Amino acid sequence: MIRILLIVGLLSTLAVSAGVRFSLLLGLGLLIGFSLERMGFGFAGPWRRLIRDRNAQGMMAQLLAIGLTAIAIQPIIAYAPGSFLGAIAPVSITMVMAAFVFGLSMQMILGCGSGTLINAGSGNAIALVALPLFCLGSFVGTLLVPFAIESTPHIPVSLPALFGVQGSVGATVIGLIVIGLIAARYSQAPLWNRRLLTAAVILAGLAILHVLVAGQPWGVVYGLGLWVAKAAQGLGWDPATAAFWTHPINIAALESSILTDTTSLTSLGLVGGAALAAWKESSDRPFGQSVAIWFYLVAALFGLLLGISSRLAFGCNVGALFSGIASGSLHGWAWLLAGFVGSIVGVRLRDQLWSLAQTSRQS
Amino acid sequence: MTRRFGIIVALLGVLGGVVIDWTLGVPPDPFRAPDPMAFGSTSGASGAICTFAPGAQQ
Repeated sequence: MIRILLIVGLLSTLAVSAGVRFSLLLGLGLLIGFSLERMGFGFAGPWRRLIRDRNAQGMMAQLLAIGLTAIAIQPIIAYAPGSFLGAIAPVSITMVMAAFVFGLSMQMILGCGSGTLINAGSGNAIALVALPLFCLGSFVGTLLVPFAIESTPHIPVSLPALFGVQGSVGATVIGLIVIGLIAARYSQAPLWNRRLLTAAVILAGLAILHVLVAGQPWGVVYGLGLWVAKAAQGLGWDPATAAFWTHPINIAALESSILTDTTSLTSLGLVGGAALAAWKESSDRPFGQSVAIWFYLVAALFGLLLGISSRLAFGCNVGALFSGIASGSLHGWAWLLAGFVGSIVGVRLRDQLWSLAQTSRQS
Repeated sequence: MTRRFGIIVALLGVLGGVVIDWTLGVPPDPFRAPDPMAFGSTSGASGAICTFAPGAQQ
């Protein structure tokens, strides 16, 4: 009861001091973080279980969540293109390579874009080490994006623009079904898990609400890079020296409070929501992991890579995979394929390093 | 040490970031706030989104 009153008080204060929209976005972030932590819904973990254990339950839930979101948000975005914005980004060689690195890195720390925030919020030591480096990497990535765009062709492909909304929704749903059939064929476990499917429906509902409130799909990493950019500015860095930060949208973000930035609010909410969900049982769970200290350095390194790669891939598993595919962006599909191949490598590498880190600790 | 310690660290980190930004940066102005929802409003998306790619071919 005290926790509910605290949240209502926090959201009311934000509504009065910043605006109702920002309060709603923080509330959505809290709900997403709480739901994903409480219901065990994620992205890196299910891919790991599919690759390692041939269990496609989590993957099927992801596909359901993306499909439901796509069916709702593509017509909404097309309804008022001036007010609404899809998560459409270019496809390029560097984008595909970065998605591969992200897929590998998220398996190394068992945390994707949303997962690292949620794991940190639930008190996971590895995520707490990786998250600051993830933020730093997101900022470094913004400095590299203009060079990537200049050096290789970057071509945005919007399926709604190509095929119309009905055609794009149809193509998206068919694509998700094809991926689902491939995963089902590979899987050796029962395909459907009621808890995960319920979480998928809840997540889709919250993602649709996010579009209605913010006018744009759910994302994570833009806010992380913005936090470090603001800190760097405070330490004397000049944003005018970085092409990415001279765009009017980014100048406006730098000059405004993070409490008025869409992705910052939902990311803060993810941490808070996960903390609320994990609080009760947290006193019975150990803080540290049973691995050698050097594994934390490995986590920090891959946290940094998560950040850099997520900017060069124009989003993480949320901004590119979830929201990109749901918006009808071809780059979301390229991200899915490259990220999954990266995850296959990452799962094997993590198992080897984790085993080594446990042995090192014991000896 | 339990996970509760980690949760407290995470929440303090979040709170610290917000307080520093509020204190040293420009505080939000509720009188310049957009409409509560983009849906049905002229104040739409901010455009500050992960897929933002300035300079890419449109």
